Amino acid sequence: MWISMEQYEESGMKNTVTITLNGFQEEVAQGSTVSSLIKYFQELDKDLIVEHNGRFVYPGEYPRTVVDDGDRLEFINPNFGG
Amino acid sequence: MQDQRDQLRYQRQMGLPEIGEQGQKRLARSRVFVGGLGGLGSVITTYLCAAGVGSLRIADRDRVEISNLNRQILHWTKDVGRDKTVSAREKLAALNPDAEIETHHLEIGPENAAELVQGCQVIVDGTDNLQTRRVLNRTSLDMDLPFVHGGINGFNGMISTFVPGRSPCFECLFSEFGSPSSPPPVLGSVAGVVGSLQSLEVIKCLLGLMDGLLCGRLLFMQGQTMAFREISLEKNPDCPECRGR
Repeated sequence: MWISMEQYEESGMKNTVTITLNGFQEEVAQGSTVSSLIKYFQELDKDLIVEHNGRFVYPGEYPRTVVDDGDRLEFINPNFGG
Repeated sequence: MQDQRDQLRYQRQMGLPEIGEQGQKRLARSRVFVGGLGGLGSVITTYLCAAGVGSLRIADRDRVEISNLNRQILHWTKDVGRDKTVSAREKLAALNPDAEIETHHLEIGPENAAELVQGCQVIVDGTDNLQTRRVLNRTSLDMDLPFVHGGINGFNGMISTFVPGRSPCFECLFSEFGSPSSPPPVLGSVAGVVGSLQSLEVIKCLLGLMDGLLCGRLLFMQGQTMAFREISLEKNPDCPECRGR
């Protein structure tokens, strides 16, 4: 189960990983999934494309896609104009 | 190839070993369906027509509005109020009188899509909404035709070529997405870049240059930082349309 950074800090746990999210380095709880990170970073738009290390992640995979140290994650708004 | 005039018209591209005289003849025998004559469709049809694609079948339901003119370069100030199909046919015929330009002033839907696409080798997305893209994607799967998708929003754009059986389909990626509540802001030059890349994908399809297609890849363009990024796509077994086949 995912817990927030604040909960980690309160519990004295030090296990974090550093990822690059939308080009910025972020320290997040070890074991964080795409689902938990969408909540943590308050990505409110449900129509979101998620790229994990260059790979398109389908919404059904969000709960089981765990980020690791050095991973690159992108939250992208799709472009549907013409 | 008709004569010396054609040799001159296309000589700069016929010099490419991937095209040559045989490739140019192949383009001349080709028929492409383009859905939509907005920002993307303007550019796609212009480049396909200029390249000598023999026949373009185009569908759009709209009339030209003055707010279109920042990006829809096939339509000019004098065209405001005219059907986009009429405006487009006029310009494209002037650009290349040998091209067959077949226009349909109508809304593309599940009831007419198969007939519209019949006889074409490629389906191209020049539309501005998810609903029509879903119809074209279904038609691509049913008729086993490549679907060259493009979309734009502000400074950004995305492109992919969906080839049935070889790549995920449009719905693999976007079946859970809803339509935006309002049309996005769009910069015309972004439509130019994305539409150009789409027309290049179409020409590669027609020439049989399938290995280099954006097939199983989604290309993202961020115009503000001039960054192009590619996302690898796998088939989606949960896709309601192709079931990941």
